[in-house]
Amino acid sequence: MASADNGMNGDGSTSVERVGIFALSGATKRFGGVVAVDGVDFDLLEGEVHALVGENGAGKSTLMKMVGGVHAPDEGSVEVGGEAVSFASPGEAEGAGIAMIPQELDLFPELTIAENLFVGRKRPRTRWGGMDWKTMKEEARRSLGSMGVSLDVGATVKQLSTANRQIVAIARALLGDAKAVIMDEPTASLTEREAEKLFEVIADLTASGVGVVYISHRLEEVFRISDRITVMRDGRHIKTAPTSDLDSDELVRLMVGRELKELFSRSRHETGDIALETRGLTREGEFEDVDLTVRRGEVVGLAGLIGAGRTELAQTLFGLHKADAGEIRIDGEAVKSLSPQKAMEKGIFYVPEERKSQGLISPFPISANITLSILDRICRMGFVKRGRERETAERFAASLSIRGAGMDDPVSRLSGGNQQKVVLAKSLAREPSVLLLDEPTRGVDVGAKSEIYRLIDDLAGEGKAVLLISSELEEILSMSDRIVVMREGKVSGEFERSEADQEKIMAAATGTKAGQTAEVREERT
Amino acid sequence: MSGASTTTTATEHSDGPLKRFLTRPEAPALIFLAALVVVLSVVADGFLGASNFEGILSQVVVIGIIALAVNQVVLSGEIDISTGSMLGLCAMASGTVAVAGGGLLFTLLAGVAVGALAGAVNGFLVTVARIPAIIVTLGMLYALRGVLLLVTGGTWVTGVPAEARVLGIGSVFGVSLPIIVLFALFIVMELVNRHSDWGRNVLAVGGNRRAAMLAGLPSRRVRFWAFVLVGAAVGIASVIYIGRAGSVQTNAGTGLELQVIAAVVIGGTSIAGGRGSTLAALTGAVLIGVILNGMVLLGIPGVWQDAVLGALILLAVSTDVLRRKLLGDKA
Amino acid sequence: MSQYTETSRGFLSRIKFSRELVLLGVLIVIVIAMSLLSPVFLTLGNLLNTSRYFVEIGLISLGMTLIIITAGIDLSVGSNMALVSVVVGFSFLGGVPLPLAIVLGVVAGLAAGVFNGLFVTMLDLHPLVVTLGTFAMFRGLAYGFSDADAVSSFPAWFAYFGQAYFGPIPGQLIVFVIAVAVVWLILSRTRFGRYVYAIGHNEEAARFSGVPVERVKLAIYAGTGLLVGLASVIYISRVSTARGDAGLGLELDVIAAVVLGGASIYGGKGTIAGTVLGVLIIATLRNGLLLAGVPSTWQLFLLGVLLLVAVFLNEFFRKEEG
Repeated sequence: MASADNGMNGDGSTSVERVGIFALSGATKRFGGVVAVDGVDFDLLEGEVHALVGENGAGKSTLMKMVGGVHAPDEGSVEVGGEAVSFASPGEAEGAGIAMIPQELDLFPELTIAENLFVGRKRPRTRWGGMDWKTMKEEARRSLGSMGVSLDVGATVKQLSTANRQIVAIARALLGDAKAVIMDEPTASLTEREAEKLFEVIADLTASGVGVVYISHRLEEVFRISDRITVMRDGRHIKTAPTSDLDSDELVRLMVGRELKELFSRSRHETGDIALETRGLTREGEFEDVDLTVRRGEVVGLAGLIGAGRTELAQTLFGLHKADAGEIRIDGEAVKSLSPQKAMEKGIFYVPEERKSQGLISPFPISANITLSILDRICRMGFVKRGRERETAERFAASLSIRGAGMDDPVSRLSGGNQQKVVLAKSLAREPSVLLLDEPTRGVDVGAKSEIYRLIDDLAGEGKAVLLISSELEEILSMSDRIVVMREGKVSGEFERSEADQEKIMAAATGTKAGQTAEVREERT
Repeated sequence: MSGASTTTTATEHSDGPLKRFLTRPEAPALIFLAALVVVLSVVADGFLGASNFEGILSQVVVIGIIALAVNQVVLSGEIDISTGSMLGLCAMASGTVAVAGGGLLFTLLAGVAVGALAGAVNGFLVTVARIPAIIVTLGMLYALRGVLLLVTGGTWVTGVPAEARVLGIGSVFGVSLPIIVLFALFIVMELVNRHSDWGRNVLAVGGNRRAAMLAGLPSRRVRFWAFVLVGAAVGIASVIYIGRAGSVQTNAGTGLELQVIAAVVIGGTSIAGGRGSTLAALTGAVLIGVILNGMVLLGIPGVWQDAVLGALILLAVSTDVLRRKLLGDKA
Repeated sequence: MSQYTETSRGFLSRIKFSRELVLLGVLIVIVIAMSLLSPVFLTLGNLLNTSRYFVEIGLISLGMTLIIITAGIDLSVGSNMALVSVVVGFSFLGGVPLPLAIVLGVVAGLAAGVFNGLFVTMLDLHPLVVTLGTFAMFRGLAYGFSDADAVSSFPAWFAYFGQAYFGPIPGQLIVFVIAVAVVWLILSRTRFGRYVYAIGHNEEAARFSGVPVERVKLAIYAGTGLLVGLASVIYISRVSTARGDAGLGLELDVIAAVVLGGASIYGGKGTIAGTVLGVLIIATLRNGLLLAGVPSTWQLFLLGVLLLVAVFLNEFFRKEEG
């Protein structure tokens, strides 16, 4: 374990002769017909932070999973310490000194924090051969302590908040003697202060010669802590350069592949009456006292960290969960005991963030997926009218230009972007007046992305009210008329498009700068 | 509970001992058991008393031993409902060896070997052939009974000699031997559960199979041995069974699988896997014993036994849902 | 590639993996084998007579097909049958007019199904646990109400339900054919059927698409209870006895038939045609083995093995397809 006391030695590292830890060359990975990673070279040196950036779906995680033993490359090679390797499991990769920090979901909720750190590892034993729980707890405490965190290591993981689960996941990876640590969006659900702690840990690690791969969307973090940056786009390697040679604008251009202005399309619309309004909406443990309004023809961006309660709020508005307190008004009329069916009747539709598990019935044909939400409209006496179904599906498939397979083919045959368009088609078929879009461009290629942005703009133009949840600040800033920020279940900021910028939103999302609307709101009358 | 800063997160857990106890999987069953004991002591004559308690325990020894093992299968995220027929087959095997003069050791070995083999078949079909456990063990429930009838041709095993019946009817220092075996196995299972890698891995695999695989745990091997363990436990139980009965009928163990599962889930082990304890299985078995005993003492006809048992299973799993809701465990 | 090769490949693979076709082949092979074993087997009289014995299993299998498609299971159908049997028999014994007793019995079956459905949907419990509980509870209620006794003093006209013939055709076969047609239509042509498959493939996505998941599930368990009620009345009439041990082990036959018919225990897959073939195969096997003088102990063993082989092949082919 690295336990250097010099907490902050971040920029003291000038590029001396550094030894390589691992290298990927010509790595290619396909999933079915889709090429996720296409002939990418990537290497990591001792003691460096190598940032890996790119849009969602660019193939960053897949690339790293080939080093981490989760996927085997279809083509190309993985070398560790100059020798070709092929890991059959993450365990083997860890044995070779490569630790991947799993998502917080990859923990064991019923087990204690201490035990979570030791699953899959050699557990310490007492003299008589039993489990040495005491040592386990001590090591766990020490591991968390090195991140400046103190948690009750005897508590089960399911009792923890999202941020703390993330911390446990990181601690788990750091417990082994790793030579390389791969961090995939480690700060996505951390507050500013917790993120600072993480940067200190990273500084300690690199000081002791460990290499760190840092995947992140937050470019300011990338510029702050990395030595080199590699950009990926659509599964391909675009550029690797020392951080000092790049600036923010260029990096964004490399990631997106064109100017941002071209990607986003947003025109001004007149906004109408309030279509959706919440007052003091609360669901215990998820969100609290949320006041929100969305007008006809308006796109309201909902920003915040992962775990801030945005998805839970949207799903509650769609009737998937029950609110504990507060009220929901649709077109000025209060609705009680909302269910998805009732929400749909009232003209609300929610487009979920998890396309595969929540958005699509993968084995169903494209047509059946599109019409699933409107079967009541294309049935007579409960019997599905096939002609009507086909005609409706084709109409929406055409208007969203869904390409790649026939109407009767399973939807799983489509690319990610086109699958997302099917999900959107399903919601539009219902002709909703309020659309709740939860990360609508996640894992979608750039082409489909810009089509989806145009669609959102058109929908607002038609007078629909759109609530856009997104973790991509550019997306929020470019597409929204108004931006609402949530932090730990509460609304922590609200900005008109003209007054919003990245810093303000991040500040409200992580709660760094005091004295903002958040504080005023929290101290209610 | 807010995770605003590390100082607040540190206090996130500071629960009192009562809440800690209530979060234990077997807590509702223990509370229910205590309440039931109090009520029965008041309303049922003859409930309180060492001999009645011993009677209750001996009644559930066979169920309890098997439940301790099935508990591991359920913890690993699988299920085994083949134990009724398995007991019949094991009893037939151990009984035959006993009658042939094999002595206690070989009788025991025969039962355990046949059980472990049947368990291995279950485990193989679930983990290698990847057939869902409910189907495998449902199929085996009938297939094993079929094997039993085929091998014996429908004849009974009778006249088990006394030396092979020790486990069923013997006693040490006035405590009946079957009860000692049950508690000895409970302690062994508790140690396995707390102190062996396999025991901990069972909980990890059952709690989050994907994460377990990512952590490099041999998920299939872990589950395979849980099924074999059930077989071995059924083998041991079969020797107690023949010791008690002195003979084996071809319908031995019929319906037992249900009581075993009932004991496990009533005790508080989650049918979804990953959550539960050895004590839960034991508590569940004792609870069933107390209920059946209480019914007898209160003069409730035996024909209602299944109805009460079924209602209890539903009650137990429903209270688990309520408890999860009350504790705000939304995951 | 041209359009032509695309479609012809599709056609070939459809033949290769059409489970119904494979099952039909298996059924034909069994029929031939059985007719070799016993000369009586392949006579119209015997075949129609056989049908008297599989209708009860067949009716319940129809409901079980829908349950299994939604990734659920119902272990309580055999016990429910006993419950219905006892309700009919003992309410009649207690002085209720028989027609009303029959109605009461069917309502009891329906209520038992609703009971299962409510536990599955309202408490979000796994159907396996719920029906394991009701498996014991319904049977226990049946034993309790009947005090483990039997009723067989039914009037002669009651035999009509299970023993009537229209020409050479047993009455219950007609009931079965109608039920098959109705359930097939519901599953393959209606909105409800579409919902059933959607829930089976991906319950969460179905819910997110506005499918009333809970209502659909409740209806399926209730419908299965209703079919059990119907089957039970036919059964009591056929054997002229109502008792608490009716339908013992029935759930295995039913689940075996459905799974043999190609339904996946993981949900999403299954057809009425497949289930009917599964029922026919099991019935033919049982009848043929009986005629051939094979002891019933063998049948039990074979049924267990058959179930395992069927599921194994199912999952095996599914992986090939995937």
